Amino acid sequence: MYRATIVVPAFNVAATLGATLASLKEQTYQDFEVIIVDDGSTDETKQVAAQFLDDRRFYYVHQANRGLSGARNRGIAEAAGEFIGFCDADDLWHPDKLRRHIRHLDSKPNVGVSYSGSQMIDAEGRLLSVRQSPRLRGVKPAHILKRNPIGNGSAAVIRRAVFDDIAYVHHGAFNAFSYFDETFRQSEDIECWLRIALLTDWEFEGIRGLLTYYRVAGDGLSAKIERQLESWENVMAKHRSLHPAFFARHEPAARAYQLRYLARRAISNGEGKAARAYLKRAWAESREPLWAEPIKSTVTTLAAQAASLFKLAPVAQKALVKASMPTLRQRSQAPFHPTSKGDHYE
Amino acid sequence: MSKPRIVHLMDDTTTGGVTRVVAHICNSQRLAKQAHHEIRIIPKNAADVPVIDADLIVSHLTVSWRGLAGMIALRAKHPNISLIHVEHSYTQSFTALNVNKRERFFSLLRTAYSLFDTVVGVSRAQYSWLVTRDLVASERSCVIRSAVDLSGFAALEAPKGPCRTFGAIGRLEPQKGFDTLIMAFSQCQDPDARLRIFGRGGQQEELERMSQIDQRITLEGHAPDPVRAMSEVQAVLLPSRWEAYGLVAQEALAARRRTLVAPVDGLCDQLEDGAHRVARNTVADWTRAIEASLSADLSNIPDSQARLADRVAGVFERNWEGLIARSLHSEMSVAA
Repeated sequence: MYRATIVVPAFNVAATLGATLASLKEQTYQDFEVIIVDDGSTDETKQVAAQFLDDRRFYYVHQANRGLSGARNRGIAEAAGEFIGFCDADDLWHPDKLRRHIRHLDSKPNVGVSYSGSQMIDAEGRLLSVRQSPRLRGVKPAHILKRNPIGNGSAAVIRRAVFDDIAYVHHGAFNAFSYFDETFRQSEDIECWLRIALLTDWEFEGIRGLLTYYRVAGDGLSAKIERQLESWENVMAKHRSLHPAFFARHEPAARAYQLRYLARRAISNGEGKAARAYLKRAWAESREPLWAEPIKSTVTTLAAQAASLFKLAPVAQKALVKASMPTLRQRSQAPFHPTSKGDHYE
Repeated sequence: MSKPRIVHLMDDTTTGGVTRVVAHICNSQRLAKQAHHEIRIIPKNAADVPVIDADLIVSHLTVSWRGLAGMIALRAKHPNISLIHVEHSYTQSFTALNVNKRERFFSLLRTAYSLFDTVVGVSRAQYSWLVTRDLVASERSCVIRSAVDLSGFAALEAPKGPCRTFGAIGRLEPQKGFDTLIMAFSQCQDPDARLRIFGRGGQQEELERMSQIDQRITLEGHAPDPVRAMSEVQAVLLPSRWEAYGLVAQEALAARRRTLVAPVDGLCDQLEDGAHRVARNTVADWTRAIEASLSADLSNIPDSQARLADRVAGVFERNWEGLIARSLHSEMSVAA
């Protein structure tokens, strides 16, 4: 019986899975198991995973493709650990990450979700000048809704008990518990975190340090950005009835942050016009991002202007790199397509 | 030697459900053989309490910062008798939706509970939360699932025919989640389906406005006779956002009504008695659950539901009898 379980959802990730698993194997805290959930890969993912299976703590399970949520749900179902961490198969963990999260969870019995900041890396694993440094303390449901401090799908280590508290049986499934909602192919992280925040009394708290290396890829289609907004709106629609007063109060600002985030993604795709349209909608929803995060909002506005003036938008790119944002730089490099990744909020 | 005297403390804002549970204790013939039970109403959040001449005091009060001084006074003025607190209000989902400063709230609960010899949870789910959150030590707590007299409900005729008339019974407050229910029901297509909502409260106007979109939904007002209200529906829906126990579910189950509950707090306890679980407390899942009920066979009553009234009554009284006996005994051993 291991103290922690690390779930690694893997879909066609032969190129990066090895590095991910190696980073887990080298953890300073060793009382853990790794469950590699091969979500119907058609590449060499299985062969890469096989190289690690000599270590008896590494398990490999294969299933027909169910998406990221389905892979995580399978991982949770198989997990034996008291704590469950997630590491997407293109991200890396800092060697001390697990130890620090377990120390955190051990010392704070009310904390259910422990997370930390992330350092962005590119397709070749080189550090980018971009990081996620979220709010760590005093995290309320409104922060989860607006800013998702957990940031990405490889940042959190979560108590098993938290998942037990939000488990449900999906209407299509028999007896198999769902934790992440498999009807979402995007926004599945925020969907789950919101449910934890609104249905349970577990605390979210971060620890210092950039303990996840999060791989960003230029995945730039504008249709995808629009789909992301749609799925985010679906999450809102689904949860509004849980706590109408909460959503009435915070949803406009949350939507403004979401639209600003989409504007930044549009900028990094060189679509200045779309970015400006997103920003216009954002400020019409709520001006909160302007006064709560004036620098970031101003830089985004300027970058959107610049990107719409210059087709290639080098100025905007540079400004965005300074303001912490994945950029187009990866696009020109070897094609690297992470599978349906959860949202990453910069 | 005369029978021991047990005083149940309630405050003047105590809700109807709690009042009925306490009345059920006081009216029990079996418990009356063991001790004399009486109810004492004290003002809400009173800073002080009078000295009460009793061999055992059971608090049904709501814990709050403003009422904490009164609870401390209660302990200080009764050093030699056992004090029991029954937690009728707080649950995990209550905390999730209502408490901003959770650590502070847990400190309040730990402080208040530490004043009592025993803390009673009213459902297994709530008790499990109390213990896992370390709000009370497991050796100083127990669970006694709440109960009321269900014989009137058990005497009702079991519903027949296709399931078309759905009922929601309770205070019209956001806690009960009837707004979710109206939205979910209005998306069901069957023209013969009806949703009848019994109760009154602060959400009345909002619910009336919402229900105008659908002629099949009616607000029936307060039902002075809950058995009668139950007799008028075939299925009972409980979409509560938080619920320490859910007596309405017990009443519906005893009346052999099809009972659908949100997977929330004490409502999870109702599953073992035959309630049907709605996957999640969302509009879409409630719509699905109601639609599934439209084609359900009402004559197929789960075994666990069939003789519920008899089973429950005995268990509740036996549990209280045991707790009272232990509490009176421990008081004597301290005195000796």
